[in-house]
Amino acid sequence: MEGLLWYLVAGLALGSALGVVLMHKPLYSAFCLVLNLFCVAVMFGFLDAHFLAVSQVIVYAGAIMVLVVFVIMLLSLEGKERSSSKFITVLAAAGVVGLLAMILGPIKAAFPGKASAITGGVEAIGMELYSKYLFSFEIASVLIMVAIVGAVVLARRIKSNAN
Amino acid sequence: MPISNYLALAAVLFGIGALGVMTRRNTIVVFMCIELMLNAVNLTLVAFSKMHGELSGQVGVFFVMVVAAAEAAVGLAIIISVFRSILSVETPDSSELRL
Repeated sequence: MEGLLWYLVAGLALGSALGVVLMHKPLYSAFCLVLNLFCVAVMFGFLDAHFLAVSQVIVYAGAIMVLVVFVIMLLSLEGKERSSSKFITVLAAAGVVGLLAMILGPIKAAFPGKASAITGGVEAIGMELYSKYLFSFEIASVLIMVAIVGAVVLARRIKSNAN
Repeated sequence: MPISNYLALAAVLFGIGALGVMTRRNTIVVFMCIELMLNAVNLTLVAFSKMHGELSGQVGVFFVMVVAAAEAAVGLAIIISVFRSILSVETPDSSELRL
């Protein structure tokens, strides 16, 4: 039962990832990405990373994607996107497929590890975060602060003093 | 489910994201493909964390999420400010710095 569900979610994740790349309208790509983020959150759930599954939905599918959709709506892009040259597309696709073929062949033999009994609940992650990684955690808050200020400065309309 | 299945799925997701970055012209779609690649790496980290019985990988994913949020804020601000000056979000149009 769980195996069937796993393959269903994995297929949905792959399909929605292809949707992000292949959709013509940016808004459709954004919705495909939201679906993909939900599928990855379910994968986190399968791996017993419960805290990350929840924060994936809240931070990625919630906050970040709302921002992206907001910008797409704000710019209201019309007209067709010029597609890149056929040569580049074929070259990139061939390169990616070749690399994946090289990776996916021996992956089962290279990582035969069994799943451990570890569970990433709020308590366990919190203990790690506030003891071993306390300094990085504080630095992360500074990073977000800088990002907020940077975003405001960049997106501000600059008054022209030419006239 | 064996851990290698998760790793294979993450590798394919990363490949699809990289393909999008290389072929799409719309800056916002390129940005979303980068998010896709970040997510694939997150899945790999969590899978390895489960395999080794070590929570450090999951803390790493938490920090990747923090950086992705900061990147989204700054990146979209740059896209908006470029759109204001050249009225386009397509990558070939922003070529003023090209020799």
